[in-house]
Amino acid sequence: MNMEIEGLTKRILGTGNFISIDLNKCNRCERCLVICVMNLWRKKEGKIYIIDEYQSKCLECAACYQVCDAGAIKFQYPKGGTGIVIEKG
Amino acid sequence: MKVFDLIIVGAGPGGSMAAKVAAEEGLKVIFFERGRKPGEKNSSGCGLGPRMFRDFPEMMKDLTPDKCPSMRAGTASRNYFVNNDDIVAGYIMARPTESVSYEPAKSWITMNVYRSEFDPWIAKFATDAGAELKTSTLIVDLLKENGKICGVIDEKGEKYRAPLVVGADGVLSTVAQKSGLRNKWAQNQVTLVPQYDFQASSDKIDDIMGDETLGVWWGSNFPASYQVFFNDGFHQGLGNWMNWWDSNPLYYLNRVINLKYYQRLLKILDAKPRELQAHLLPWLDFPINTHADGVILIGDAGGFPCPLEAEGIYPAMVTGKIAAEVASEVIPSGDVSKATLKKFDEKWQKTSIGKEFEAGHELWNIWKALPFSPKETMSWFVPMIMEILGGIFDWSQPHALRVRQIISHVRSYIPKATPFIMAYVIPLLSKVFEDDLDKLMDPKKILKVLPKLLDMLPQKKKKRGD
Repeated sequence: MNMEIEGLTKRILGTGNFISIDLNKCNRCERCLVICVMNLWRKKEGKIYIIDEYQSKCLECAACYQVCDAGAIKFQYPKGGTGIVIEKG
Repeated sequence: MKVFDLIIVGAGPGGSMAAKVAAEEGLKVIFFERGRKPGEKNSSGCGLGPRMFRDFPEMMKDLTPDKCPSMRAGTASRNYFVNNDDIVAGYIMARPTESVSYEPAKSWITMNVYRSEFDPWIAKFATDAGAELKTSTLIVDLLKENGKICGVIDEKGEKYRAPLVVGADGVLSTVAQKSGLRNKWAQNQVTLVPQYDFQASSDKIDDIMGDETLGVWWGSNFPASYQVFFNDGFHQGLGNWMNWWDSNPLYYLNRVINLKYYQRLLKILDAKPRELQAHLLPWLDFPINTHADGVILIGDAGGFPCPLEAEGIYPAMVTGKIAAEVASEVIPSGDVSKATLKKFDEKWQKTSIGKEFEAGHELWNIWKALPFSPKETMSWFVPMIMEILGGIFDWSQPHALRVRQIISHVRSYIPKATPFIMAYVIPLLSKVFEDDLDKLMDPKKILKVLPKLLDMLPQKKKKRGD
């Protein structure tokens, strides 16, 4: 069974940016690429980045922020009243 | 600027409990929630433990299906043992046993609820007691004056002043970070937990699962995966410490979902995936740095989930209550120094939570080494336990010969099992009994004696009449 995860999370738009990476601090360990459940972190030409549309896919678990030993990833919860809505948690 | 006696950041069960108790003590309290309503940002933590019903009976008797339709008692648990080939090799079903001493623990292990129903329910106790709840508000910083914490600042720059701030803001606690109590957890202090919610009809769950409403899937190809049944659905999730993952966490969770046995269960339950969630869960052997000048951390923010099974709501409620009691004691005096707030630690350490953490290190260690080390441990643990439990149910040989085969096979696991027992089981037992068990049961002696004992078993069956 291929679990279709599209559409399994409800969201309220208007989060603004809440995740960023400081490439000067990033040591390219790629732990963020491994840990992200939604597979939002990518690598291109040796640089790590988060996909542009992350705001509409992120589960707000903050694993990328926590796993980053270099302290390169910044994460702040989305604005109050926006972002994911968990109804069956 | 708005002025309060006590500010609580977070309206989960811990924050709401703290707000309720503090308001009842006569303090002017505000508590903040970043969701539009409490529970909207929470996944898991959905098993209410019986200690809540023992310690807070007046509150808990108010929790009824009309207020919380998702309620389902987690009466019996089933432990599925999944072998290296992803086949369910056996299981143990268990209900609360004879030695369990009080109700409702005699009737069920957990009461399962969705947080979107439970958290608003508990927050209402706080607002009914007079605490002010401000929703859709993210607290982004602490208000400081001459370096001293004196309140909080929200994302719009609005300031709220109080002599004491309780951080009930979960695993990523802004209060912990901004007060300098913790920058970030160490990688072995926090787990990542992805989880699916499946929809299934209440009748199907009743018919198929009966009262087996908790499941743990133990396997060697994934970390132990839990299954929690609600009135009209269930969770399937798993977790591990941050430094463990070598593939996308969903890869491991999907291995559980894709077990043949599991697929059959989904089919007969007519279950459909309904939500995908992921969260971080602090999982420590002992909570440290729980308070600073003008700040107390409770619940997940303070690292209080149970060191063995990560039960989170009860510890959050207990620490929330204690934080509020300490607040009402110290706020009139104006002394909210770290030295005075040490009372918080002294008080929670005397509770059931404190008792849990007395063996915290040993519990944490054994759990980490067993279900959360699938390749290293479960790969031999599952076949060994199934040999012991199920080996005799077999028609391949005369039964006496089967017993010898089983013992001989179990013996072959001794080189793997003995170091495990010595490293994790004996320390836990000696801690639990607080006895010099290691003197009574010197592991070296055991290692010498055990094979000899097994050698004493007859190698060949004597002929009748000899």
